[in-house]
Amino acid sequence: MSRPGAVLEVDRNSPPTLFHFGEGVRLERLPLGSRILYPPDPLEPIAHPERAIRRALAHPLDDDPLKELLRPGMKLTIAFDDLSLPLPPMAQPDVRQLVMEEVVELAAEAGVEDIHLIVATGLHRRMTEDEIRHIVGDRIFTTFWPDCLYNHDAEDDDENVRIGTTPDGHEVTLNRRAAESDLVVYVNLTLVPMDGGHKSMATGLATYRGIRAHHNVDTLLGSRSYMHPPDSQLHHSCIQQGRLIEDHVRVFHIETSVNNHAFPTVANFMQKRETDWTPADQATYLALKRLSDLAPRDLKRTVFHSMKAPYGLTGVNAGQVDQVHDRTLEAVRKQMTVEVDGQTDIVTMGLPYLGPYNVNSILNPVLVVCLGLGYLFNLYRGTPVVREGGVVIMTHPCRYEFDSVHHPSYIDFYDEVLADTTDPAQIERKYERRFAEDDWYRQLFRKSHAYHGVHPFYAWYWAAHALAHAGDVIVVGGEREVVHRLGFKAATTLADAFEMAEQTVGRYPSVSHLRTPPLLLADVR
Amino acid sequence: MSLLDDVRQVRRGWHWGEVKPRSWPERAPAVPDRSSNLGWARSEPVRSARWLLQKGVSLPFTRVMANPDVRGAEWMESLERPAIIAANHSSHADLQLLLYALPDRARERTVVAAAADYWYQRPWLGRLVSLWLNTFPFSRTGGPQAVLHHSSQLLKSGWHLLIFPEGSRSPDGRLQEFKPGVGFLARETGAPVVPIHVRGGQRIMPKGRAYPLPAPAQVRIGRPLQAKEKESARAFAGRVESSVRELAAGSSGPEVVGSWIERWRAAELRSGATARGRS
Repeated sequence: MSRPGAVLEVDRNSPPTLFHFGEGVRLERLPLGSRILYPPDPLEPIAHPERAIRRALAHPLDDDPLKELLRPGMKLTIAFDDLSLPLPPMAQPDVRQLVMEEVVELAAEAGVEDIHLIVATGLHRRMTEDEIRHIVGDRIFTTFWPDCLYNHDAEDDDENVRIGTTPDGHEVTLNRRAAESDLVVYVNLTLVPMDGGHKSMATGLATYRGIRAHHNVDTLLGSRSYMHPPDSQLHHSCIQQGRLIEDHVRVFHIETSVNNHAFPTVANFMQKRETDWTPADQATYLALKRLSDLAPRDLKRTVFHSMKAPYGLTGVNAGQVDQVHDRTLEAVRKQMTVEVDGQTDIVTMGLPYLGPYNVNSILNPVLVVCLGLGYLFNLYRGTPVVREGGVVIMTHPCRYEFDSVHHPSYIDFYDEVLADTTDPAQIERKYERRFAEDDWYRQLFRKSHAYHGVHPFYAWYWAAHALAHAGDVIVVGGEREVVHRLGFKAATTLADAFEMAEQTVGRYPSVSHLRTPPLLLADVR
Repeated sequence: MSLLDDVRQVRRGWHWGEVKPRSWPERAPAVPDRSSNLGWARSEPVRSARWLLQKGVSLPFTRVMANPDVRGAEWMESLERPAIIAANHSSHADLQLLLYALPDRARERTVVAAAADYWYQRPWLGRLVSLWLNTFPFSRTGGPQAVLHHSSQLLKSGWHLLIFPEGSRSPDGRLQEFKPGVGFLARETGAPVVPIHVRGGQRIMPKGRAYPLPAPAQVRIGRPLQAKEKESARAFAGRVESSVRELAAGSSGPEVVGSWIERWRAAELRSGATARGRS
């Protein structure tokens, strides 16, 4: 039985605390009395994933068995989540591979001749051949690539259709192949409560016109948090769009959840609480610390990005999306929830090398904000861990460093937009449409492996709630100029950051540290 | 921070030998225990280190010692997915000859089943061979389920699996009967089996000798075989054995065309398990 999440108080005997620092790690001493929030240990995975998947397909929730939905002559489309999930990428075999192999096998038995597999990239970058192969496995890849297995193209006007308008007046668009199919099977992997449900189809197979309905400052400010769907306007909007899609096309939803076993054996110490570290863990920490201090950036990046997570399947459900998603969220919360008593004045977080939008790439300054203030800050239910007007302290080298292939529009966003303003609402008003409709970004998005021109805006909007909530944001170890461009304060050491924070929250503030990844969901009471 | 500072921080951070404060929680493994599968040997940077060792030491040494004559390497290149490589076994030199014969891409993705009761009795030896040759412990005496499960996981993860179906080295260089394990594994995973015959290993390093001597060697790679719908594991193992015998005697097939269902069936990685699970 794995241990539940815990909140430990720092005392005189506590070991130092691990902070992620981009492609590196640090040990830091937190003030006495600080709280450290630890996620639960990984849940025991399902022993026979294939058997569980077959059972889920044969006994779906509020739906007919998949086998009965398949018939010769039909048009079948299987859509699946892209590489932004899970993080880090899962060691082979990926659970999506296992699920899709079962679905394809059923389709072959039923004699379905017309079948397409689509990577639901939404406005994310096109996945490369190797990345797709990694997710779907060799067998599916060799059978379907490239004619019947491909990335969704949100900028191909011929290959997307307008489905209609939601009661709130939002446009809904969908990939043409999916819209014209007799059945769409969506294969999802839910890592955090934000993922999955109606959001999968409503964003993964949509276009900018559909996605902008919920990816905007207003909606995200009203999502408190978007890691808790009932309190999230983002999800309410996605649900409306998803229902409209379901009125138009028959969808069979398959959702999987995994435990939080996020690091391979070589980096096991990152998985453990510091009080559990053995001498071997300490030695590994020292080795990794030296490597990250001394090695060139490219080498560090290669080493860190080559880590694949040995996630274990904890749940698989199929059928109607609402019922399926409820079950999935239950499994995800069980893995992530930590009960926390009350808010604090300061929250600290060590930002790792990886967020959803830089798999095999660089975590540029805009993505640093998205990861820290967008994702980690929002990992709560109820109220944020830090009080309103409190201080968020993040550790990250925060360099002026961009991947020009994956993130071309991010470079211009940083140089042009952030030089003007960091206010999300103003940014949205003044700049969004121009970037979203820029022909050159559109070309790179469609033909290269670039994120959509509008994507840096969304990354920034994710942080809108945190920017409005926090009194101050301090980045420890970041390049001063870059941190200032982002609108934050730069500190050299954590001790300096606490000193600076006292000017905002007063002397003797309370401190909480999010010891993540692995990810946790703070249930603040 | 210098290395010394880091070490000092870690040394002082944890209070060894002292009674644990009450505020510390109960110690527990953070991750569920799993049997060791030497996964580190298949991850970076060990793979790069092995590549260097093989390219820099093993392969040139094999060339000098045996100058192997390799035929049929195109069969390995034609593989579109992980396969079981089944070869005869008469010497410790066989593995080096086989690795020499495989195309670079296949070699880098090949994991070798090594007898757990021989190579993994001493941990240092097990780690050394895992590092050098990418082996994993394969039980010759344990239950077939665990062995099959682990081997099929490797195949599903994209690794070719090299096994010696005779079970141990032939004492006189003649081919011994193939054990049915190769058939079970192929049936279970649906992976194709590539038969290979190695000749000359026994002259380089016969059973009982601790060092190699130069001698010429030949490696013959045959056409991949696929278990048939109702063929038993034992019968399929027999077919693989016959194929290796044919290669020893000196002999070698067509691409799949048609609808996706035919391609899917041809690439049937897990058909055995699927069919059984559904029945």
